[in-house]
Amino acid sequence: METSPGALRNVGCAANRVQLGVTAHSEREPKRRRRLVLSAALSAIVGLAGCSAEMGGNATPGTGGNAGPGSGGNGTGNSGVSTGTGGGGVSTGTGGRGVSTGTGGGGVSTGTGGGGVSTGTGGAVSACTSTPAPGRAPIRRLTHYEYNNTVKDLLADTTSPGSALPAETLSNTHAIFGNNADFQSVSSLLAEKYGTVAEDVAARATATTAALGKLHTCGSSITATTVTATEDTCARNIATSLAARAYRRPATTAELDELVALYKTVRTGRTFASGVAGMIEALLQSPDFLYRVEFGVADATKPSLKRPTGYEMATRLSYLFWGTMPDPALTTIAANGTLTTTAGVLNQAKAMLDDSAKRSHTITAYFFDSLLPINALPQLERNDDYKKVFTPAIATLMHQETQRFLEYEIFEGPGTLTNIFTAPYTFVNDALAAYYGMPAVTGSALQKVPTDTKKRIGVLTQGGFMAGSTVSNVTNPVLRGSFVVQKLMCRVIPLPTGDILAMVKPPDPYSAATGRERYALHRTMDVCNTCHQYMDPVGLTFENFDPIGQWRDTEGGETIDASGSLPGTTGTVSGPVELMQKLASADVTQTCFADHWMEYAYGRPLETADACTQQTVENTFRSSGSNVKQLLLALTQTDAFLYLSPSQ
Amino acid sequence: MAQFRLNRRSVIRGAGTIAIALPWLEIMGTSRKARAATTPANRFVTVYTPGGTVIDKWVPTGTETAPVLSPILAPLEPVKSKILVVDGLQMNSAVGEQHQAGIIAWLTGTTQANGGTGYAQGPSIDQVLTTKLSMGKKLPGGLQVAVRFATGKSHGLLSPINASNFENGGKFAPIPPRLDPQVIWTDLFGKLGTTTTGTDLVAARKKSILDFVDKKYVSLGAKLGATDKAKLDQHLTKIRELEQSISITTTTSVTCKQPTKVDTSDYNPAAGLKSTDNGSAVDSSTDGAIPKVGKFMMDMIVMALTCDITGVASLQWSDTEAKHTFPWLNLANHHHYYQHDGGFQPTQCQQIYTWYSQMHLYLIQAMAAVDMGGHTLLDESVVFFGSELSEPPTHKKLNMPFFLAGNGGGLRTGRWVKYSGLPSHNNLLVSIFNLFGDTRTKFGDSAYCTGPLANIT
Repeated sequence: METSPGALRNVGCAANRVQLGVTAHSEREPKRRRRLVLSAALSAIVGLAGCSAEMGGNATPGTGGNAGPGSGGNGTGNSGVSTGTGGGGVSTGTGGRGVSTGTGGGGVSTGTGGGGVSTGTGGAVSACTSTPAPGRAPIRRLTHYEYNNTVKDLLADTTSPGSALPAETLSNTHAIFGNNADFQSVSSLLAEKYGTVAEDVAARATATTAALGKLHTCGSSITATTVTATEDTCARNIATSLAARAYRRPATTAELDELVALYKTVRTGRTFASGVAGMIEALLQSPDFLYRVEFGVADATKPSLKRPTGYEMATRLSYLFWGTMPDPALTTIAANGTLTTTAGVLNQAKAMLDDSAKRSHTITAYFFDSLLPINALPQLERNDDYKKVFTPAIATLMHQETQRFLEYEIFEGPGTLTNIFTAPYTFVNDALAAYYGMPAVTGSALQKVPTDTKKRIGVLTQGGFMAGSTVSNVTNPVLRGSFVVQKLMCRVIPLPTGDILAMVKPPDPYSAATGRERYALHRTMDVCNTCHQYMDPVGLTFENFDPIGQWRDTEGGETIDASGSLPGTTGTVSGPVELMQKLASADVTQTCFADHWMEYAYGRPLETADACTQQTVENTFRSSGSNVKQLLLALTQTDAFLYLSPSQ
Repeated sequence: MAQFRLNRRSVIRGAGTIAIALPWLEIMGTSRKARAATTPANRFVTVYTPGGTVIDKWVPTGTETAPVLSPILAPLEPVKSKILVVDGLQMNSAVGEQHQAGIIAWLTGTTQANGGTGYAQGPSIDQVLTTKLSMGKKLPGGLQVAVRFATGKSHGLLSPINASNFENGGKFAPIPPRLDPQVIWTDLFGKLGTTTTGTDLVAARKKSILDFVDKKYVSLGAKLGATDKAKLDQHLTKIRELEQSISITTTTSVTCKQPTKVDTSDYNPAAGLKSTDNGSAVDSSTDGAIPKVGKFMMDMIVMALTCDITGVASLQWSDTEAKHTFPWLNLANHHHYYQHDGGFQPTQCQQIYTWYSQMHLYLIQAMAAVDMGGHTLLDESVVFFGSELSEPPTHKKLNMPFFLAGNGGGLRTGRWVKYSGLPSHNNLLVSIFNLFGDTRTKFGDSAYCTGPLANIT
């Protein structure tokens, strides 16, 4: 698709930054001819950027050093080798978990800045000891998503009232799933809205006699002439029914008493329904409802250890696999003690993962919607020419394609991450097949269809990722490469400092025919190449996919050279298919994927204390042949999930 | 020397180039005595516009006391006597991601946490000032509103690309703004002036429920470890704010009344907020409603201050991405495109920034029109207009396009002061504190703060 610069509608690389996790500093496509404004001083500063150290991933100690001011290195995550004292720590680890890791052996890195947990494949020194190390388990507030699901299950309120709550807090690095407990803060507005939302929910739940009857059968027989004593009894019945479910554990008599007392206060001068509504409003604003509170119990065999109680474990499992409160069946199991053993948790996790209502499928879909840049495809800004074919309907289909593909892979197909990256098929319907130029497909239902394996294999080569990782009318190999390296390989590429930024003056875009030419400066100038050598060669292999996910052989009249390489691996690749094969077989891809799931499951970033947990999950995932369901089950078999810190 | 508020070197360096209308000793000396006689300001408003400015079309000409407004500021001519253009500051505390660090530093003077991936490392000035200005009012934490807050890319989540207000305490968490103009109207003014029977009963009911909730937080918090308890305590603090605000009733007066309700049915405050949007949301309608919604928001801010619902307000025109279009200016691409995504396009940028000046005029005039009993709302206020960077093509934060409006605390307006030596904007934040009678000399990251600016009052 040929477009003149004037017609182009470039939305730039800042778009989707949050979603892509991209920290590219230049907001636009560099021009070939114009020179960046640089000085000798700048080069000196850039020498400290620390990209090579982080990306090198070799197993020699001290590779992460590179101390220096403003390196931008940030020891926020699980990068075993962190950079510079300016922003990160100095790694003294023995087994860097860099891109090429896997041969160096394990060991726990003691980097002060990064998470620093190293888990190489060979000769691993176990990070686990005989004493479980559960790490932190901060109280977690229900996310708006969980709030909606929970209110639906508790009160049959299907209005998604949590959508009226103010925006949740996102972080650039961790909490890409919006559930990092460390970032949960209560603003005045949130507290206020919890009240007004609860008021609305309670009003709906008590609006009619029938509605009251759903809270407890007694509710339907209350009339204007009902005597007070009968009303009070019914209020208590309702309190009994609701409180245990709202608190996700049995309510004490004192707790019921205080609810009924509130009912009586609110009832005075008003109606029975108003009194009941008052109890519901109070329940929905109570910390026992809004927060997942855990006290734990002593382990039966080792009393010095604490495990979550049966109810607490049921809640952990339920929110992990279903995104909502435990259902009655799970609550029954919670009460019978089986969830305080490791095996009991595993059995229950299996049952929930394979639940016939497919509740777990919505959670994996939510996970991938958060991880991949695919959840806003219909809103991507493209020029009119693109929009003619890349319609909201097609964009929606592309989203469904990826989600259906992933669901199939995990729950019906081979089930491995390797296959997710390399499957020689996808799911399309008639319209989407035509859009991709595939052989004709009949029917509007998505169906499994082989792909042209010279061009497309696996999830990343689907239109959804290719369009979603492009934020303008021209492809940006930096963004696509950065996504793969940072989000799928968990490698941190530090931001350039303000000093560099001030000296770099980005030139005009649209200056060259192909993406490779547009970013030529990144290769020829050392200052850029320091970091871009790790991103651009990945992104350049995707250049055959245009900004709307269609295949192209040429750009600007020139044949596209899609060769590139994957950092941490040797040799080069000829294009996207070879890159996918390399990516799929890289150990770091699997550990990164496992790490994302752990962060999602535990609601916080991984930390040094999680060494054993991390190793357990990564090893299980690896030895299962990167089976995703095995990974999900492994999440429940860790110190972090099975235990609570004794000091908690 | 300590009391000198402009160091000698900078005066010497700047003397050749800047307009100094006052005898220079007066500039160098403290003016605190003069201010002591002035009533401190008691209303603070911040207005954020994205993407800096076109600096050579923004800097005034003329002299300090007789400035000639630049093309971009020209719409403010009718209120020129009420503004102070604070020129020549750099925002060097903005260290981190280029846009994010800018909006974070703007009101906090702190660098972006976690090496450019987190949020602020200190409170924003507006939140610190709430203690003085909003305590005991209906909205003790101030009123934060935003227009086109999430232009599709942060998906409605509060993110470092769109957070400008930060809690005064704890981890300085970002504060989500209110987004839906209709809900804001209902929440703030819906019951104003109406005499519903049973209002007391409603308040009593709410109070009973909040009392219950309050006790739950106290009793549960007592059983938790320190970190978890701190979280519940923060929540409890906010619940207590609500408890207090229930008993506060806003009474109408000649000036305090319901703002005219504007039909904003063509504006979707949740545009781009839901990750599950299927593309049916038509953003062009929402974009087209921006001027109308913006004015409605400003009406409500002015009335919230007039009615004493709060003493602090914050208006955010979009996030730093500013990925919305300007149909009323016949600009079909979005702001970021003109800033640099499509190559820096100064003509279109100038058009956008000039339009923002028209909006600023609207706010300033509205505040000047409110009689607070012998003086206007603007007279007792300080309004701080700013952005996250100065120069769109480079993301530079030198020569920030800042100006103040209002005469609260003796702010001396009708002027253009060009500071030499690129002092840090943290110094301006300190000066703003001083206008409110807060005599601190440092704010934000002290590495970027040397004390208040001279020549403000």
